[in-house]
Amino acid sequence: MILKALSVRVRLTLWYVTVLAAIILGFALGIYLFLQTSLLQQIDNHLTRDFATVERAVRQGRPALDALTRNGNVLLFRVEAGEGPAVETEAWRRVGLEEATTTGTNDAVWSSTAVDGQPYRVKAARIDFPVGARMIAVAHDGLTYRQSMRSLTVILLLAIPAALVLAVAGGYFLAGRVLSPLATMAATAREITADRLSERLPVSNPDDEFGRLAMAFNETFLRLEDSFDRLHRFTADASHELRTPLTAIRSVGEVGLQEAGSVSSCREVIGSMLEETDRLTKLVDSLLLLSRADARTVPLNKEKTDLALLATEVSDCLQVLAEEKGQTLSVVAPRPVFVVADRTTLRQALINLLDNAIKYTPANGYIQVAVETSRGGEAIIAVSDDGPGIPAEHRSRIYERFYRVDKGRSREIGGAGLGLSIAQWAVNANNGRLELESRDGKGSTFKIHLPLLQ
Amino acid sequence: MKILAIEDETKVAAALKKGLESEYYEVVLAHTGEEGFFQMNSQVFDLIILDLMLPGRDGFEVLTTLRKRGIETPVLILTALDTVENRVRGLDSGADDYLIKPFAFPELLARIRLLLRRNRSDKALRLKLADLEMDLVTRKVTRGEHPLDITAKEFELLEYLLRHQGHIVSREMLARDLWQVKARSTPLDNVIDVHIARLRRKVDGPFDSKLVKTVRGVGFVLKEDSP
Repeated sequence: MILKALSVRVRLTLWYVTVLAAIILGFALGIYLFLQTSLLQQIDNHLTRDFATVERAVRQGRPALDALTRNGNVLLFRVEAGEGPAVETEAWRRVGLEEATTTGTNDAVWSSTAVDGQPYRVKAARIDFPVGARMIAVAHDGLTYRQSMRSLTVILLLAIPAALVLAVAGGYFLAGRVLSPLATMAATAREITADRLSERLPVSNPDDEFGRLAMAFNETFLRLEDSFDRLHRFTADASHELRTPLTAIRSVGEVGLQEAGSVSSCREVIGSMLEETDRLTKLVDSLLLLSRADARTVPLNKEKTDLALLATEVSDCLQVLAEEKGQTLSVVAPRPVFVVADRTTLRQALINLLDNAIKYTPANGYIQVAVETSRGGEAIIAVSDDGPGIPAEHRSRIYERFYRVDKGRSREIGGAGLGLSIAQWAVNANNGRLELESRDGKGSTFKIHLPLLQ
Repeated sequence: MKILAIEDETKVAAALKKGLESEYYEVVLAHTGEEGFFQMNSQVFDLIILDLMLPGRDGFEVLTTLRKRGIETPVLILTALDTVENRVRGLDSGADDYLIKPFAFPELLARIRLLLRRNRSDKALRLKLADLEMDLVTRKVTRGEHPLDITAKEFELLEYLLRHQGHIVSREMLARDLWQVKARSTPLDNVIDVHIARLRRKVDGPFDSKLVKTVRGVGFVLKEDSP
């Protein structure tokens, strides 16, 4: 928890120093143990040689042994017979190492002992000679060993903290350098606001981690810029669409007020204003529906729905419009096709599609609604007409709000250019997708694909 | 028939009063919930029209309180809050009907009529206007001596117009009640217009007195020409 409160730079440094300290300590411990073992080994080798010398002297007889006590080849030794006085060097006696020889076995006994604070290494064993068993003990003082070890300890105790201090400083500096692009990115990102969405973060190296991070940010900014653009366009379009009926209401009302007309002409004026009000109401309702669709707050009641039945219902409902234009509207739905969908929204989608087809297909045209299933387990409602088709350059944009293929005449015919947006939302909300197949002059087919109920 | 309208927007309130009075209802206006309670305590109403977004105590509170006090007067909520949750909350709090602003005045009138006659049985089996007669059992329609050949949808439409005869019926009411389409954004107006045109051809076409009338910008009405 405390670690989380620290900056990344401090955390990186701490991690670095911790790891380095562990390595250094391990290394120091290794050196210490190695030196200790090898120094002890050295002393022990020495003792083994001395022991052999003493043993040889015992074999050669008493004079040789006495000579050995004097010539100082072996500084500290003692030979003890079962009875009679032991032979020992002057130094041995002086130091007082007697108790180190108390062993009764034939195996060599190694021991370390200390007399008056001085360390000694002792090798003692009972050897059977032709003249009888003798206890032989040789010793070596451990002063050099102890000094070496002490020096090493001092060196390590001084060097390790120094190394760690250096590591902290260096690590902190390096972490700062590595992280410095982040600070730059943060500063730039902070300056990017809704009004300045076109700015981008600098990418120094697109292949390293920071470059990838910056590019990810830039992609987000691009998407944001895009949606802000669409929002701006939408707001502008919506205001325009709202202003048109408002202008009509206003001018019709003002002109009506100026003319001192009859009751029936007043009725005409008011009726005309009410028609525009109606258009406004419908527009506002459509916008409200779409805004709820965006916020995903439209309640959907998904249940088992027969698309064949739905298609027949909707076609029956709009049949009269086709008849009025002399168009043939036929339904090809030979058997029930079940999906799970919200009937109300799906119905609205289909009404919008079919209404468009009737609107934009010339008189005496042919319109067909077909319900089928695909091999991929999808249910498809296809609304086809043999009208003029949708020109290629418009096809990708027809679902945009307020987008009209023919800007001039279409408002007279009807909608504000929201029908297909609503249809697309309605299909998507039912886990489906809406597709368009169209060829210039050869009609259009809108296909609603929905997952088939298994 | 006395109606209390609790509505804080002056213009809407004035329009309500004027529109309802022209239909011969007696209308008392209240601009806040408190004022509404004061009026309810001083006189008895046949119907209350209630706005939900009121200054001070909002409509839900007013509704809950008056139902708690045991006032059983039918309440029609008139509001711009159009989500299903709000409708459900309103109806659960004891409202009898719910109408979304902006509303069509003919529809408000139709709903008021419906609420006021709720307790009276309205199971007429024959509907009649001038020499137009409709038998709901045999499903035959005649104009004078002449039987009319009309389709099922036209029959429904004519029945609806006859039940509301003398009152304007809006396209919105027709879309909702006859086509079961609630969203105003659904493009059904043309469909309704075509059906009305066809019905008019059959009902009025060959006859001198025309019964089906279009009220521009509002809807349709079935009535005799006033002499």
